[in-house]
Amino acid sequence: MGRTYETEPFEVTAESIRAYMNAVGDTRVEPDLVAPPTYAMVYGFDAYWQLWSDKEVALDTAHLVHGEQSFTYHRPVRPGDLLKTTGRIAGISARGNMEFVTFDLSAKDAGDQPVSEASALFIIRTP
Amino acid sequence: MTAVREVVDFKAIKIGDALPDLRKTVTVEQIRAYAAASGDRNPIHLDDEFARRAGLPGVIAHGMLTMAFVNQLVTDWLGSRGAVRSLQGRFAGMVLPGDEVRCTGTVLNKDDSRRRITLSLGAANQRGERVFTKGVAEAEV
Repeated sequence: MGRTYETEPFEVTAESIRAYMNAVGDTRVEPDLVAPPTYAMVYGFDAYWQLWSDKEVALDTAHLVHGEQSFTYHRPVRPGDLLKTTGRIAGISARGNMEFVTFDLSAKDAGDQPVSEASALFIIRTP
Repeated sequence: MTAVREVVDFKAIKIGDALPDLRKTVTVEQIRAYAAASGDRNPIHLDDEFARRAGLPGVIAHGMLTMAFVNQLVTDWLGSRGAVRSLQGRFAGMVLPGDEVRCTGTVLNKDDSRRRITLSLGAANQRGERVFTKGVAEAEV
């Protein structure tokens, strides 16, 4: 509980946004390229990865499923943004053979202004 | 299809309006491309044998890929002048390669003073089994 994980500053590029959109199959063309809202998962990903790899928390990632996800956005994200995300274990609980982990994240730009927040619920089913 | 999207007209939006459905057939190649683009290379998405050992039928799509489809349903409808302020939902079922995910949405609420729209969102597979539920997005138009 309360453990935090911080990403290195993530530099948003047009290539990274396009690769993400191509993978999703979102082929829109716009004069002003703005990252899709769910791209928050890309610039914040390293925080999730640090949580999943934390040997002291030792989550069984082979049996981890993503249960719920929420995002709130303060402003659009564009190429050139330098974003740092901090993730925090907000709660761990168990019920039967299932463990629930709530992970809250907050992303800020190079000027330390808030860009987005997120919350993920992971469910680990012990076989 | 490549198109410059039209901007949604706030005045014309009515509570209960349905968004045009978005259908996506998920492939192994798409899951790999998503893993590379997102950084999420968890082997349950990439390695059939690993996935089976973990008790799955084989590789499964990232839940966030399904949520990205739902996101696209919203942004396609919203056009370039709308901004999504929040997005949430629950991953209710697995999506496997070959599945067709159908994303649906309706206008739940409209706040004229703040020019905000609340949408109810979901996604189901080709058998009608729900894979994304309790979806809600708030957008400023």
